[in-house]
Amino acid sequence: MKISTTRFGDISIDESKVIRMRGGMLGFEHLKRYEIFIQSEKIPFWWFQSVDDGSVAFVVINSLAVKQDYEPVIPAAEVKLLEIGSPEDVVLLSVVTIRSDPFKVTANLRAPIVVNAKKMLAQQVVLVDSDYPVQYPVTENSAVSKGKAKTEILPSALAL
Amino acid sequence: MLILTRKSGETIRIGNEIKITVLDVKGKQIRLGIDAPSDIVVHREEIYQMITQQNILAAGYDDSIGKSLSHVWNRLKNPKEEVK
Repeated sequence: MKISTTRFGDISIDESKVIRMRGGMLGFEHLKRYEIFIQSEKIPFWWFQSVDDGSVAFVVINSLAVKQDYEPVIPAAEVKLLEIGSPEDVVLLSVVTIRSDPFKVTANLRAPIVVNAKKMLAQQVVLVDSDYPVQYPVTENSAVSKGKAKTEILPSALAL
Repeated sequence: MLILTRKSGETIRIGNEIKITVLDVKGKQIRLGIDAPSDIVVHREEIYQMITQQNILAAGYDDSIGKSLSHVWNRLKNPKEEVK
């Protein structure tokens, strides 16, 4: 399948790498299919590109690269919806926002995109009773900036 | 929109399993008690609004942001390197 994107031009999509959203991203509920694009394996910021609308793509980061001890409680209903069988199948992604100063990068830890990498199903889950912020500063807190580099966070299950 | 008037202590039901009780009314604030099955997720509307706005902002960046972020990340990994 070929799609036309605003940022990356015409690209071919490998159907086996398409992630299907259950509810969709908040504000983009009508878009159900996404693919992860990695521009450089050394950089943990990835693109979460909509397959249904070439103009929509989010910058995401593996939530664990931002906060090593990140342990959100995924509600049982979402676990069921995403057919999660084992925690090892789960990849958590946080939507990244950037203000005018690129060093003020923030990641949304309150509503991670929970991906079942085994079944390629995902959902943006708003955490219940959570103190994790919507805008968590990446640069001050990332595992890397604390000298605990952990860039090999690409799940083999996604096989990108 | 269905509009119901309730007094403190009174309840409404949504379906068979969801109960919302007005616990207390004080001035402009109302405390609600919600009984729902564990697979029903209850949030304040504001958190949805906040995340939706954040998503809309996040979806609007162009390709050049990739370069900025690479730069940011490399600086984080090598904080001693001077910015060129």
